[in-house]
Amino acid sequence: MIEDAVRLIPADDSSWRLEAYLRRGGYQAARKAVTSMAPQDVIAEVRRSGLRGRGGAGFPAGLKWSFVPQGGTAPKYLCVNADEGEPGTFKDRAILVRNPHQLLEGIIIAAFGVGIGQAFIYVRGEYASIAGRLEEALAEARAKGFLGPGIFGSDFGLEVVVHFGAGAYICGEETALLESVEGRRGQPRLKPPFPAVVGLFRSPTVINNVETLSNIPSIIGRGADWFAAQGILKDGGTRLFGVSGAVRRPGLYELPVGTPLRTIIETHAGGPPDGVAIKAVVPGGLSAPVLRPDELDVPMDFDSLARAGSMLGSAGVIVIGDRTPILDVLEVTARFYAHESCGQCTPCRLGTSWIHKIVSRMAGGKGRPADLDLILDLAGGMKGRTICPMGDAAALPVHALVSKFRDELEQEFSR
Amino acid sequence: MSGMKMVGLKLDGRTVQAPEGTSVLKAAELAGIAIPHFCYHPAFEAEGNCRMCLVEIEDLPKLELACSTVVREGLIVRTSTPSVLQARKDVLEFLLAEHPLDCPICDKAGECKLQEYYDRHGLFPGRFVEAKEKRDKKVAIGKGLLLDRERCILCTRCVRFLRKVTGTGELGVFERGVRAEIGTYDGVPVDNNYSGNLVDICPVGAITDTDFRFKTRAWFLKKGPTVCPICSRGCAVVVESVTGYPLGIDERKVFRIKAGENPSVNGTWICDLGRAGRRDIDERRHVRVMKNAVPEEELSWQKALADVTARIRAVPGPERSAKIAVVLNSRLTCEELVLARRIFAESLGLGKISFADPKPGAADGFLLTEERVPNARGVLQSGFSPVLPDLDTLAAAEVVLVFGSHLLEHFSEEAISRALAGIPSKFLFSAHAGPLDRSAEIVFPVAVPAEKSGTYVNIDGLRQSFGRAVEPPPGVVPELEIFGCLANGLGLNRGEPDAC
Repeated sequence: MIEDAVRLIPADDSSWRLEAYLRRGGYQAARKAVTSMAPQDVIAEVRRSGLRGRGGAGFPAGLKWSFVPQGGTAPKYLCVNADEGEPGTFKDRAILVRNPHQLLEGIIIAAFGVGIGQAFIYVRGEYASIAGRLEEALAEARAKGFLGPGIFGSDFGLEVVVHFGAGAYICGEETALLESVEGRRGQPRLKPPFPAVVGLFRSPTVINNVETLSNIPSIIGRGADWFAAQGILKDGGTRLFGVSGAVRRPGLYELPVGTPLRTIIETHAGGPPDGVAIKAVVPGGLSAPVLRPDELDVPMDFDSLARAGSMLGSAGVIVIGDRTPILDVLEVTARFYAHESCGQCTPCRLGTSWIHKIVSRMAGGKGRPADLDLILDLAGGMKGRTICPMGDAAALPVHALVSKFRDELEQEFSR
Repeated sequence: MSGMKMVGLKLDGRTVQAPEGTSVLKAAELAGIAIPHFCYHPAFEAEGNCRMCLVEIEDLPKLELACSTVVREGLIVRTSTPSVLQARKDVLEFLLAEHPLDCPICDKAGECKLQEYYDRHGLFPGRFVEAKEKRDKKVAIGKGLLLDRERCILCTRCVRFLRKVTGTGELGVFERGVRAEIGTYDGVPVDNNYSGNLVDICPVGAITDTDFRFKTRAWFLKKGPTVCPICSRGCAVVVESVTGYPLGIDERKVFRIKAGENPSVNGTWICDLGRAGRRDIDERRHVRVMKNAVPEEELSWQKALADVTARIRAVPGPERSAKIAVVLNSRLTCEELVLARRIFAESLGLGKISFADPKPGAADGFLLTEERVPNARGVLQSGFSPVLPDLDTLAAAEVVLVFGSHLLEHFSEEAISRALAGIPSKFLFSAHAGPLDRSAEIVFPVAVPAEKSGTYVNIDGLRQSFGRAVEPPPGVVPELEIFGCLANGLGLNRGEPDAC
């Protein structure tokens, strides 16, 4: 069990309130960082903790911060990625609703460490209805002097603005997010230059996921060693595993990084309902290649899942039961990416649409034996060939579904 | 390229040098290796959306963009490995999947990048059996431009041109994924003096020009580079014409003028006025000598010019300065002006040499200048001090030679015909038919600038020599030949009068 004080999602009813957060020891880490630490020591501590990005790519957070040029008079920005659009993922939402102050404290510490005076929280448009608590938390923090000029009596000041997206998956990609905040069409930028050097409004910018930043207070408060020890393997800390689909207790589980996938599904989420067997599991949000039932004994950390041919991604675990035809899963997957491709790069724009058209035809009973190989070829033409990772995000799950469940899909043609 | 630091890189096994800061794509081009591309354009920063220029770079796990990768010492690049060739094929297959394949009725056929690359890098059988997206094929986006959204490959060159070159930003990308399309904002059309460049830079047949649409096929066009005569910028242009087949045997038609490339003048752009200059070459042309406003089928310009020579010779030497008047213009080439100076100023000693030019217009802050003549600097360099003629002085002459029809821009038709009415010998040398024709005794057809070779000096003093971009109609010659013949007829070459 994880003690309540470090939970990303506290159990108490009014957990989002400032007084509840202060009772849990809230804002002490930020006070410690701002009043007693040098900015570079904050970065060093986070680097030492081994905290990896919780948005999907798993890039070491402290390393990312260290890429931002130090000093200088030019503005630097922090963008908080709350665009949580990966299907099967609902962890950032929980933090925004249940523990917004922990996110704000993480933002304060990150901004202090990197030397940032302005942060934007980019919240997906679909979360506008739940963003009230975040706005409320911001007002409470401002009233307490945790935000604004001269935080904790220092000369460090920080302003935080909430910015809503308008319903595009692609705006969760960090450079598309920047374009969107700047008021332009949300589509990824060509890299390099990387945002740490040329980011928001062409200034050095850090972009971190909500869950990533929410881990920062305990790293600073309790130390990097403590944090690292929370993980089972090399990766430190805990993860919010969102389990959905064919399980008895779907929900969000905060568990040490490295907890085996099977344990998450069987022990925590209660396994599949009676009479249902697991057919497939998507381990890290829809973009993560699907695993077969015999591949579930994998520790849920970045490296182990990469070795297993998939990815930890956003840690959204989608359990697919044996009553769900794989063709349905394939259809939903293909439709999603065809709908969400920004249309910038040729392979993604036309590949996602083409695959969706084939799969729709198959679902309409008009599949041809050559279709599966064609889908694999098209996925191959997208993978690694686009500006942003969405080409891969669309190609990999489709490729895995077709290659791992080929027998079942081929039966569609004989029917 | 002196002073520019060079770096050495390996391209397909060859060690080549390229200036620091250039892209792999450009470095390959300099080394004679063509890397196919749609969205890259040398005038803009790399965009990287078409994914056609992917190449292998040593030690990098994925294929990289040749357009955005900057060369560095020791870089090892491979442009034709199996994975590169496969990636190109894949991009072509994706683009062609939703392409309407209406090449037989597409204006771009024959000069289309998609066609060209399929021929060179594709040649696969089609595998797309789904229903293609139906899109608008004739969207009027402004200024005679039509957008065919089915042909569009979304390279966004047009969008970037309007944002970065004209700064007008009329076009944008709307919708996303396969529904993404180019469009105007709230229907506000493209409206600037450089709109025609959108047709030039569209790598496929998505943006076409109503002035060219369905008129001919690209492969019939003969391309003649020249210098634009519309203003004093001196942009490089290419006049594209057809002579004979598939037109009639003696027929000649200029179908369009496109931008030529000249980094020190216009880069790769020209203005719409320059493009519209197509009409000056083909329309309202004089092709016969006219006497008293009646075309003379049998009368050659040489014979008619003998008459002019005789009238000039009939004026006694000492009286010539007062009794012979010449009106020139700043569209003449330097070569023509030098000859004109020798004949009229130095040999005949005329006092009445004036200039009538098109009136200045507003400069547009980019290429188009206020001056609407190509060679005002050449006029000065040839030793003339151009002044507008005074009609009363003109009226006092006995022989008048007018080159060009621009008097009309400065004086009313009535005033000019009144001034010319009492002059016994009045000759007009003009490329185009116009109201002045009625006032002249003989009208000589002359060539337009595109039909000449010569030199213009542009607004910045740059001397640019050019060749004949298109043949003049039979029996029509440049003023250079007329001046030469005049010089012969007046005995200025060998001291004795001579026929041409």
